[in-house]
Amino acid sequence: MTGDRTAPHGEHDVHDEHEPKEGTMLLARMAESVYWAGRYLERAESTARIVQVHTDTHVDLPVGEDVGWEPLLAIVGVHTEFAARAGTGRHPDDPEGAEADIIEFVLHHEDNPASILASLAAARANLRTARPVVPREAWEVCNNLWLSSVDHLAEAATREGRVQWLRRVVAGCQRITGILLGAMNRDEAMSFLWIGQNLERADLTTRVLDVRSDNLHMQRGDDPYDVVHWMAVLRSLAAYQPFRRAMPARPQGGSTLRFLLQDDRFPRAVNACLSEVRSHLKELPRAEEAIDSCAEASLLVASAPIPRLALGGLAEFLDEMQIALADVHVRIDRTWFHPTMARWMPASAAS
Amino acid sequence: MTAERRPEAPPWPSYDPGDLYDELVGPSGAPRPAAAPLWRHFEALGPEALVERQEAAEREIRAVGVTFTVYDGTAGVDRPWPFDIIPRVISSTEWHHIETGLVQRLNALNLFIDDVYHDQRSVSAGIVPSELVAGSPNFRRECVGVDPPGGIWAHICGSDLVRDADGTVYVLEDNLRVPSGMSYLLENRMVTKHVFPEMFRHYSIEPVDPFIGRLANLLASVSPAPGDPTIVVMTPGIHNSAYFEHAFLAQQLGVELVEGNDMVVLDDDCVYVQTIDGLQRVDVIYRRVDDLFLDPEEFRPDSALGVPGLMRAWRAGRVGLVNAPGAGVADDKAVYAFVPDIIRFFLDEEPLLDNVPTLRCSDPDSRRHVLANLERLVVKPANESGGYGITVGTQAGPEQLAAVAKEITDHPRAWVAQPILSLSTAPTLCDGDVAPRHVDLRPFTLIGPEGAYVTRGGLTRVARNEGSLIVNSSQGGGSKDTWVVDTSLAVPGTGA
Repeated sequence: MTGDRTAPHGEHDVHDEHEPKEGTMLLARMAESVYWAGRYLERAESTARIVQVHTDTHVDLPVGEDVGWEPLLAIVGVHTEFAARAGTGRHPDDPEGAEADIIEFVLHHEDNPASILASLAAARANLRTARPVVPREAWEVCNNLWLSSVDHLAEAATREGRVQWLRRVVAGCQRITGILLGAMNRDEAMSFLWIGQNLERADLTTRVLDVRSDNLHMQRGDDPYDVVHWMAVLRSLAAYQPFRRAMPARPQGGSTLRFLLQDDRFPRAVNACLSEVRSHLKELPRAEEAIDSCAEASLLVASAPIPRLALGGLAEFLDEMQIALADVHVRIDRTWFHPTMARWMPASAAS
Repeated sequence: MTAERRPEAPPWPSYDPGDLYDELVGPSGAPRPAAAPLWRHFEALGPEALVERQEAAEREIRAVGVTFTVYDGTAGVDRPWPFDIIPRVISSTEWHHIETGLVQRLNALNLFIDDVYHDQRSVSAGIVPSELVAGSPNFRRECVGVDPPGGIWAHICGSDLVRDADGTVYVLEDNLRVPSGMSYLLENRMVTKHVFPEMFRHYSIEPVDPFIGRLANLLASVSPAPGDPTIVVMTPGIHNSAYFEHAFLAQQLGVELVEGNDMVVLDDDCVYVQTIDGLQRVDVIYRRVDDLFLDPEEFRPDSALGVPGLMRAWRAGRVGLVNAPGAGVADDKAVYAFVPDIIRFFLDEEPLLDNVPTLRCSDPDSRRHVLANLERLVVKPANESGGYGITVGTQAGPEQLAAVAKEITDHPRAWVAQPILSLSTAPTLCDGDVAPRHVDLRPFTLIGPEGAYVTRGGLTRVARNEGSLIVNSSQGGGSKDTWVVDTSLAVPGTGA
């Protein structure tokens, strides 16, 4: 029996073996892992881009117009953590020291759970759990990206080294997205991944706008650096070139807001992200509640009074937007990842 | 390119395995026939290139994320899988013999397990002492009278094979509970293909990949339901030392990797898994969780890794478990000594593979021999597992040997003795130099209602330090790709 390697013994007689499996079973825990992998990959990529653009903008602005490095902390949402971090303030009064401290914190400080390195580590951990449902190569590239980011941390301390380090993160994340697009079945697992990615994108776009609204002078059309600021906002979201192609005006408050909130073609515009989320939600079972919540968020962004927001009240509007996005997440979590026992009843238990 | 060179010119002039059996080098210093093309290739390659390729292999293993987890206190740390690029080569003729022997052995062990949980004919016939079965820590009362499909309990066996100085291959252990290592066997081959792609052109090396297809077929074949079964791999979780393997197998099989918490047994005695579309029935569980943690209702009540009611579902025939609970009763140091008799009793055949000769001290002649040769033997308790209470004669002082002698005289039934084997060696890259290191071999045997399959070769484990017999990766051991080579096929370009 063991000597004859051509004999067909051991071949299982599968019914309809030429037909695909009926429905693909996706474990709730796996769905949660790919969702978070999508979110963390997006967070790592976007944060890296924001830091890069902030550095570029910083060198364009004269002393005095300079917004400093604190906005980075606000965008990532880690002001409190930064203040409480270990080894506070190596050079508190020296601007270069402040830059080094903040960059270190945003890139990889161990007390920052939302650092780029922590996001990569979390993406890696989630892809590792989700290995059975994601292409092997995607995991390998993510693992490699994390390893090389750790290996080259020391180089990221200088501005020159930092450019390379951030570029590697952005390129690595893009590569993973490319592999997923090209090699993953377009099934429920894929839907959860894109839902996570697009919710995170929408959230980051609102954060960038929120923080910039603090130090932008929207009404002041005569400020020569106004354009520099708005270009920085667009560039942080990889939106500058798409904006130029799509919008007639030169970058300024109103048109930028209109583009980043309501455009339906630019992938990082809040409206476009939500459309994407909704189209993937429709592929999932029991999605009604999540779709409703997503529709409410879409309605909110679509009805945003852009001209008025350009004059004031943007921060309040963005708060509302973030609450709506958080609600979509809560519905998703409740529907698929952590359902109550009542939802556990099997479809087939009645039979 | 190597045609003008003398084929017996050694690639590593200082390589000397001494009196030990070497897997690649024969007693005259020339390569064993199956290893000759490899030998010539390494000669052409030169020592620097070998080191470069070893580094390339290590980079790939790190990048691909082939890891194993070691425990340092309580925290698990992932380490890159240790791998030596010089393959171990076995001729297909020898492999055919080993593989036939492994299937014979696993068939007999399955008949024995089924017998243990039913009539115990082997006990009443005096083949195996009854206290050995009843007293085994791996005997499960909960399994008595159960009839798994095809009467098969141990579907997957990871055997530990060693080769002694005279070239004889011995079975050292039959691992029938949750044997691990198959993922590393497959990954080792993948890395070797990337590091030595040219070797596969000049050599007829049997592929290892069919294992996954055979495993999938085996799992499907124990499904209690008709039609396309839902199969899952059950893991204790991400902190388990073999988690890499669990995830790897689920990915390769295209099935879900589940934890106990993901599953529930309902009143219909069926097992369900929590999916995004509610509960879905599971037909087959390839479980990588030990018996005692499978079901807190019947085994350890504190187990958070299991599924309450899982044993009930299995006994009701509503779910297939691979391996079946209770299969470990045949994977026991004490039962080991009886395996040759078990083969003769159940199959009426002579064992094709040797057990390490085991002297039972209860037998007066054996006892006299053991007492007279203590310094040359390994003395083991007959009814303990896990290496507890072992005395290696060559490493024990006179007082210890005297104490062991007294123990044996007072309680002869409690002791067995085995010769100290000198494990074979294989050339291994150590700090840029090639030196002999001890190896063992873990092939995997699959047996299901539809037939048997043995991996081509197995996972070769290699001791890192000179003279060391410890091959466990948790203790610094490495691994090698293992090639089963068909020497009867003429392969162009080898000059053979």
